[in-house]
Amino acid sequence: MATPPSNEATMTSTYIRHGDHVDTIESVDVVFRAQRKLSFTYGAVFFAVTLAVPAMTVAIEGWWETTIWGGFTANYLFISLLYYIFLWTMAWTFSKKADRLDEDLAKMADKITADAAAAVTGSEG
Amino acid sequence: MGDLNTIAIVLVVILVSMTIALSVFSRRFTRTTADFYLAGRKVGSFSNASAISGDYLSAASFLGVAAAVYASGLDGVWYAAGFAGGFMVVVFFIASPLRRFGEYTVPDFAYGRFGTNRMRLVSVVGVLATCLFYMAPQMYGAGTTWKVLVGSGLFGMDAYNTGVVVVGLIIMLYVAVGGMKGTTLNQIVQFWWLAFAMILTLLFVTFGGVQNTAKGDLMRFNYAEYLQTESDGYLMAPGTLTVAELEDPAVYSQVEIAMTEATKNNAGAATLEEEMAKIDAAMAAGAPDDTVNVVVFQKNKLHQLKNDLLGTEDALKFNQPGARYDAFGQFSMVLALVLGTAGLPHILNRYYTNPSGSAARRSTFWVLVFIGVFYILSPMVGLAGRSMVRAAVDSGHAPATADYVGGLLVKSDALMPTIAQIAGGEILMGIVAAGAFAAMFSTLAGLLIASASSVGHDVYEKYINPNATEKQKVFVGKSAVVFFAMLAILIGYLIPATGLNTAYPALIAMMVTWAFAVGAGAFVPMLMTGIWWKGTTERGAIAGMLVGGGGSVIIIFMNMFKALTIIPADATGIVGFLAGLSFPTLFTFPAAVLAIIIVSKLDGQLPKNVDEIWMRIHGNAHERWEKEHGLDKVSGLFDKGTK
Repeated sequence: MATPPSNEATMTSTYIRHGDHVDTIESVDVVFRAQRKLSFTYGAVFFAVTLAVPAMTVAIEGWWETTIWGGFTANYLFISLLYYIFLWTMAWTFSKKADRLDEDLAKMADKITADAAAAVTGSEG
Repeated sequence: MGDLNTIAIVLVVILVSMTIALSVFSRRFTRTTADFYLAGRKVGSFSNASAISGDYLSAASFLGVAAAVYASGLDGVWYAAGFAGGFMVVVFFIASPLRRFGEYTVPDFAYGRFGTNRMRLVSVVGVLATCLFYMAPQMYGAGTTWKVLVGSGLFGMDAYNTGVVVVGLIIMLYVAVGGMKGTTLNQIVQFWWLAFAMILTLLFVTFGGVQNTAKGDLMRFNYAEYLQTESDGYLMAPGTLTVAELEDPAVYSQVEIAMTEATKNNAGAATLEEEMAKIDAAMAAGAPDDTVNVVVFQKNKLHQLKNDLLGTEDALKFNQPGARYDAFGQFSMVLALVLGTAGLPHILNRYYTNPSGSAARRSTFWVLVFIGVFYILSPMVGLAGRSMVRAAVDSGHAPATADYVGGLLVKSDALMPTIAQIAGGEILMGIVAAGAFAAMFSTLAGLLIASASSVGHDVYEKYINPNATEKQKVFVGKSAVVFFAMLAILIGYLIPATGLNTAYPALIAMMVTWAFAVGAGAFVPMLMTGIWWKGTTERGAIAGMLVGGGGSVIIIFMNMFKALTIIPADATGIVGFLAGLSFPTLFTFPAAVLAIIIVSKLDGQLPKNVDEIWMRIHGNAHERWEKEHGLDKVSGLFDKGTK
């Protein structure tokens, strides 16, 4: 398999290559679908929780009127403190999972490169 | 008003000197446009997170959130939560793909993704509209903070306009000299300064306390206890009535009832008799149209109907929702804040300075930690201010730099410097005042870089002089910074000149939310669909930007015109409805997404190289290559220029 100069990118409609590193549209699509599922699942949970707060504020009296600790209502406690813990947890776990997907793409791409190289070596032999 | 605060001014001068010194220092390391606009794309996650936090935490966050909580209780806390929540949209959907695409600006992305000059130019207009909307509250904050801090003007200007001009010129100087590297360094320093100021203020009110000499006790802040105390009575707010309105006996009687509630626990100076005497004196001396400061009960806008039906008292308590927003407003405001962050060009530009997509996600996580802690603390200071400012007024030692009525600050935006002076004297007041300027500097600098890069990079380099040398490009970038700084100064001047400052009770927070709404309408639908739906076409994206961004701008101006009574308060029909929308996002965002989908489906003309574009956005061959060659490493901000 011919290797272009290592600091140049080669791009066609089906693969993109930087040095020895190749992404094909097929491999990118597989990871894209997984990434989309991850992003939109996390996004859905985030919006559901975020919009549930005003929804409960409109509809559930105990949520905004009943105090549970000092002057804290459940509504006040969630918005002023607990919401941030929710955000941090979501952002951290999402980043870790997204990093793993990146690694998957890298492994997939390395395999494609290795297979192509093996095929070239085989045909030359 | 108007006492010179020497220590505060010295601390602000130290901050400004440090800012300029850092910019001059950074100049040696800014050689190319990549350095000037993107700090060489090698800013590490922690540094970038600090800089993004500095960029993001503006006057609205530093002065406005605590002020909003002070004035409106729980509805004010939503500002903090909404501002923080906005970064979730960035981390889930935008940060990593945007960085991988690897351009300079959001219009670059739009051009690269959709392939037409028309798309780039529409995006440039969107960037400028969002940035100008965001500059407005920063400049207004600059003028009002100068007024509180210094109290007098220079060269024949009043204090407000002097603040606007001084801040505008300082920012212009340090951004033009230091570029993105200088701005990044400054934003890091400025973020930690304002975080330090917020933490220190809370430490002072919690452990140092405030002496209530009228009652002879030492007040120390305790979150749950203070929330209980403030929620025992009704939530009072300052307001203004004209002398003519006060001459109506029914209105006067309501004011007296409200003032009785506001002063019922007072033992010292601010007694009911004294407060009513002040109102009587103002009525006697004023013309019918003159306004008089009063206190009013905050109405429950959220559960008003239920209260009306049941015939119950519709006044509100501090820990209850509804001081600012009805049901529609609650959803609309949350959506504007949560979606708007992902549409702020000066924040998105910072993602291009990360060395990789993964680093962009890590940066966002750290941003969430930094600003999350800040936004947890800020409402605490707002709550502490309720009791402690009242006690200071009651004891007769409240700072003379602010106005009070019924123990409340007339302008809640003055809470941070006021509570700092009450709890920590001139030194803490100085640290907080410098923090306020740091917040304005860091955000304005980001906005200037974003605006300048839109004109310098997206227009000049692409269309006017594509063969420009690096020197010419950097010169144009710096000239654009000067132009937009002048424009920011003009905007700052126009706010009081048009009467906007008196048309809205909490103008800084309101104007920031407008900028979020424009960004949320103009960019977020385009970015989300452009990144996650291959079928998005250029015409669809433009339709979405026009509907979302253009629609938001039109509705916001209609709302301003209504507040300025250019549109009558009792206007009906579609004009009355649209002019009544404070936050248009609930309509403009879904309308923009719908416009993109419908027009893209009808159009169906995808870019010929859509697969290549897809691999640029979602593939990571380039990052792996960089990693192999050790180019993914974060370099120091002081390396000698990007090759």
